[in-house]
Amino acid sequence: MIYMIITGLLCGALLGFVMQRGRFCLTGGFRDMYLAKDNRMFYALLIAIAVQSVGVFLLIDLGVFEYSAGALPILSVIVGSFIFGIGIILAGGCATGTWYRAGEGLIGSWIALAGYMLMSTMMRTGVFGPLNQQMQTSSVLPTNSIAETFGINHWFIIIPFVAVVLFIIYKQLTKPKVAIPKLKAKRTGLSHLLFEKRWHPFVTATLIGIIALIAWPLSAATGRVFGLGITTPSANILQYLTTGDQRFLNWGVFLVVGIFSGSLIAAKASKEFRFRMPDVKTGINSFIGGNLMGFGATLAGGCSIGNGLVMTAMMTWQGWIGLVFMILGTWTASYFVFVRPRQKAKAAKLKQEVTTA
Amino acid sequence: MQKKLEVLGMVCPFPLIEAQQAIEELNSGDELVVEFDCTQGTESIPRWAAEAGHTVTEFEQTDEAAWTITIQKK
Repeated sequence: MIYMIITGLLCGALLGFVMQRGRFCLTGGFRDMYLAKDNRMFYALLIAIAVQSVGVFLLIDLGVFEYSAGALPILSVIVGSFIFGIGIILAGGCATGTWYRAGEGLIGSWIALAGYMLMSTMMRTGVFGPLNQQMQTSSVLPTNSIAETFGINHWFIIIPFVAVVLFIIYKQLTKPKVAIPKLKAKRTGLSHLLFEKRWHPFVTATLIGIIALIAWPLSAATGRVFGLGITTPSANILQYLTTGDQRFLNWGVFLVVGIFSGSLIAAKASKEFRFRMPDVKTGINSFIGGNLMGFGATLAGGCSIGNGLVMTAMMTWQGWIGLVFMILGTWTASYFVFVRPRQKAKAAKLKQEVTTA
Repeated sequence: MQKKLEVLGMVCPFPLIEAQQAIEELNSGDELVVEFDCTQGTESIPRWAAEAGHTVTEFEQTDEAAWTITIQKK
């Protein structure tokens, strides 16, 4: 128990710290692929996936732990991921993003988190449990592992993937750069590096990949053979708090509490913590978004971390199909939340100018 | 001319979207002062300004989780 608390909290705190300082926002990244035609954050995610994938499969080959991806509930992965994608745009952050922004003092993220935890619990042990079960067991394909489907060794998938990622890094880093204006440095040395300097997204991504890798053996040692996960632990917290049943306490619970704490420490130390109250509209959107996140992530068997970062690294269909539909969900919601209101405002303004002219 | 845009309390990406809209209405050489408190904006706003070719004349943290950036339209 003590081991679980310490390693879970530490791993989570590291992740929360790195995400806060590195401004690692997958929701923003997916959204900007569409709004700004900017793929940088997506490339950063691929780097984190590659680092973790190589490490975890080395550990598996060395016999540190065993892992089987099992079957693929294809329908619930597609539907769930798409709904999750819509939810994270409304909530203004993915599951992890919401946890670490809650640590920055954003009340909107607290609201989203409440909706997210509530709906994830309702989907497991609550009124939507049977619906979830039914969706999970309809249209199930026998193999989830991509390598197994093709009957090849997993390295035949991982090595080409790593090669593609290396090529993308090379292309990105050799592109002509624009100088991005920086904040005036007020600190020096380690303090500047940790609490002030802007981190390159690729550096942040590499660190996240390493943390995601360390999570595996740490978690496996407590009997939970998986890496980073957010949704199940978030539900487990609420289940534990409302039932008092200790079975709901696991490594993942301490991980998510750690993410919150790590981000809080990072934000406090860099003078970026302040309680910030959203306006009514943002508050309502956060709550609806949080609920959609909980519904979608539970159905899909993972959020942008569980499926998007971990199951992708495990080279499973669930991870990659989940990632694609999650991104499509964010694009759909972005159209309705950002693009359409802007077009409408423009059209209204044009009309006004014509009538006054 | 200088225009002030206060987007305190707005979460990302709205400070950026508001800034992009506000600058469209300015003339070349005019300045836009954006005051924001969304942490992720410290990355997205200066990056957008630089990539769009505008000049950032000032960028500073003014308080706990509060920043100001001055962008001169190209």
